[in-house]
Amino acid sequence: MPPPSQPIGERRPRAQVIDHAWRDLGAGLESLSGPGGAPLTRTVKLIVLPLIVRPALHAELAADFLQPAEAARLDALIRESGSLLTATAQWFTLLKKARRALGVVAGNPQDLYFQRCFELATEHGAPSAGADEVARAVVDEVVHAGGGRTVEALKDCLADPALRARLAEELAAAWESRGPARDAAEALAPAAEVLETCTAPEPNPSAYARMIELRHGELFGRVVWAQPGGLWGGAEPPAHLGLTARPVPPRPEIGRGASTATLPAPLDRTLFERLFVVLQSSARREELPTVPELVARESGRSCAPLGLYDESLRVAVVLGACLAVGLDPLGTGAPGPARTAAHKVVNSRWRREASVLRARRMTVSPHPDPDGGALDALAQDLRTPWVPYMRRLWVRLHGRDVRGAPPADLASVWAVLDGVARSVMMDHRARVRAALRALSAAPATAADAAEPRSA
Amino acid sequence: MTEVHVARGRDGSIRVAAAPGGDDESALGPDFTRSVLDVAGALLVWPVLGAQTPPVADVHDVRRAQQWLWAVYGDGVAAAVHDAAAGEPAGVRVRARPGALAGTAARLGLGHWAARWWPASYTDGIAELEGDVLGLELAALTHQCQELFDDLDDGVAELIEEHRAALDPLLRWWHATPRPAQTARHLGSVLRLIDDAADCAGLDGPELRRLRSALEEERGHGRTSAPVDLSALFAGRDGHALAAGAAPGAGGRVIARGSGTNDWRRYPPGFVDAAEDAVSWTARAHGELRQIEVEVVAHVTAPAAGVPLAAEVRVNGGDPHRVPLTRRDDVWTGRGELDLRPGAGLPVTAPPRIEVGVLLPGFDPGHGPDTGVERAAIRDLARRRLADAAQPGAYGTQPFLAEILAAATGEDY
Repeated sequence: MPPPSQPIGERRPRAQVIDHAWRDLGAGLESLSGPGGAPLTRTVKLIVLPLIVRPALHAELAADFLQPAEAARLDALIRESGSLLTATAQWFTLLKKARRALGVVAGNPQDLYFQRCFELATEHGAPSAGADEVARAVVDEVVHAGGGRTVEALKDCLADPALRARLAEELAAAWESRGPARDAAEALAPAAEVLETCTAPEPNPSAYARMIELRHGELFGRVVWAQPGGLWGGAEPPAHLGLTARPVPPRPEIGRGASTATLPAPLDRTLFERLFVVLQSSARREELPTVPELVARESGRSCAPLGLYDESLRVAVVLGACLAVGLDPLGTGAPGPARTAAHKVVNSRWRREASVLRARRMTVSPHPDPDGGALDALAQDLRTPWVPYMRRLWVRLHGRDVRGAPPADLASVWAVLDGVARSVMMDHRARVRAALRALSAAPATAADAAEPRSA
Repeated sequence: MTEVHVARGRDGSIRVAAAPGGDDESALGPDFTRSVLDVAGALLVWPVLGAQTPPVADVHDVRRAQQWLWAVYGDGVAAAVHDAAAGEPAGVRVRARPGALAGTAARLGLGHWAARWWPASYTDGIAELEGDVLGLELAALTHQCQELFDDLDDGVAELIEEHRAALDPLLRWWHATPRPAQTARHLGSVLRLIDDAADCAGLDGPELRRLRSALEEERGHGRTSAPVDLSALFAGRDGHALAAGAAPGAGGRVIARGSGTNDWRRYPPGFVDAAEDAVSWTARAHGELRQIEVEVVAHVTAPAAGVPLAAEVRVNGGDPHRVPLTRRDDVWTGRGELDLRPGAGLPVTAPPRIEVGVLLPGFDPGHGPDTGVERAAIRDLARRRLADAAQPGAYGTQPFLAEILAAATGEDY
């Protein structure tokens, strides 16, 4: 028999302390609470933790378990904020009403307004006379926060013939002046080393720092330009892992339009398509450069190695590539390149996902099936997991490059790499669901079962 | 007193289970006997058959899971998971104190299971569950368990969007003040939860607006009472008449016939009747030629065309080959040539052993071990639940609205 239960002692889960303190505040918090009276997940994440508990100021409250003194401190912090939280809840109700009145449907109201409501409550207290107009103004302001950073503005900008002529010249010159390729093998060995350590709580930064210093990302980018294959060995995926649909990437075009459903592979995209994705997917567009600045920078960026300026982001591509070629979503156990700690984490995630999909009756056949239609196409993606993986990874890194927000350290690179793996899985699940739904619906829709790929 | 075992597995994830033992998931039974929830930082699994127990948790992100572990298992288990992540892989036994969230989570898991594996069968007399009604109740339950999920992963918005067609009929059912009172309360609670969930997620639309104003009105001055015909309310619940048509005019001499295997794992829900004997076949001789005809009873809601369902035929344990099936009235039928030449080592006179299955190409995970016993147990479970749903409140169980509806309108099964 295993040893008897360890006593929990006096410590308490922080989540439980928050829950009890919240319930003790009593009525008036309904709009920030779930049906059972607990704070909404987002209330904890967007209001209670960052604005009230503030673990940055109270380091002792950052842990998952609290000793009695700390628990009492946390309880007091929430209790003291009772009237502020009640006012926040009232403002939130008001903003949701204004949103409905103005016919706004985009975005999740909690994400959009929680912090604003807390600010309004801090500044005005509970809503009083004139609060309706304030609420409308805030909803309106959030809608137009992008400050003209829209796809429409991009279209207008790129309609200018003089600008197009200048961009064409820049692209031609930049593409011509790209440097020669060297052997990329020297970039891949340290990448495996980094992937072995990056899942640790405090990864050792030195191998990663060396990759940036030796410009291994640029090195890999040059190989992708020059060399269609012969890099990964084994079953031999192409050197670029699907970042282009051609043997090597073509010189980028300027472009005039884009559609989410038909976006080409990342390095085959036009300037328009690259910026379209950034403008479409950005939650905080007000933090982006203006549209003319975006365009001016993108022509040079698109001719830079891997279509990225920042070397640490390029190194993240190398790390992602090394991770992606060793993924085994179908759990075939086929021999692949040496699998690192990072591979083990992501592959066990895929194993869990596979068991969810089987239990939810949402399988795809593990072996190619010519009669399999849309489902077989989805399974094919799992047999070449680097294609969906690199596509998503590149979009995420490109977005960071455009914003000038490179990862701060190896831990945040790993957060991106792991987050992309998760997105690829959720995307797969959504597409299987859509394909099955199309099959059970009217026969006419069965042909276009696969959802448009989201880039 | 419920105790659970908490230990670190080989891949570093923490497992909370009734007993120590393996990462071997086959111990949990075939896929269709488990309900699963994909929650923040963990996977929760319950066996569908057998007694209600705390779920098995496979915790892969301990920090994220701490938001709910204490509420599902109690703070002792939450602390043990925390310690296991930091310390030795050796397991400990801890007393679990399941909270209210545990019960709602189990119900949500079971609802997701029912949406995919409910063994609806005309021939077995197990009525189909209305998918949109079940989907909306799942949205309500998900919202009720919101603590379990990371913000974007709970799927409430998708569930409401996808199943909004049932909102108006549910409202009318509720307005009719159904008996017993428990069903009326159940309906009201689901509708309020959906309204609140939609409000939280910022969803809008005509059905949701009608729902909102109906709920506001109700707060003012009660509901009007009017009788309602449930089968008319939820269109398409008229059952189906079995085809009277003649067997496909085949001719030829019957040389063998039999039943195939109806393995639910090999095709998605909604295509094939779940009865054990839904798959049947006939082999005929036409001179030198040998043909097999396969008939598969269709699910009540099966689409009329456009689905490449196939039968898999295997003779004497040889290579399987496929016979495409097409929908004809209430059966999927197909016909293919049969190679009955005796296999090596078999006497020429031995009757051929013919195995027939049904599958959807591209979906089929492959031929699995025989699970007929478990399928029978699932049918028993479904019958029991429908019987309970016919008298909601009479027993301890709390049926889903879709089960109450099926029990009330499914007499023609």
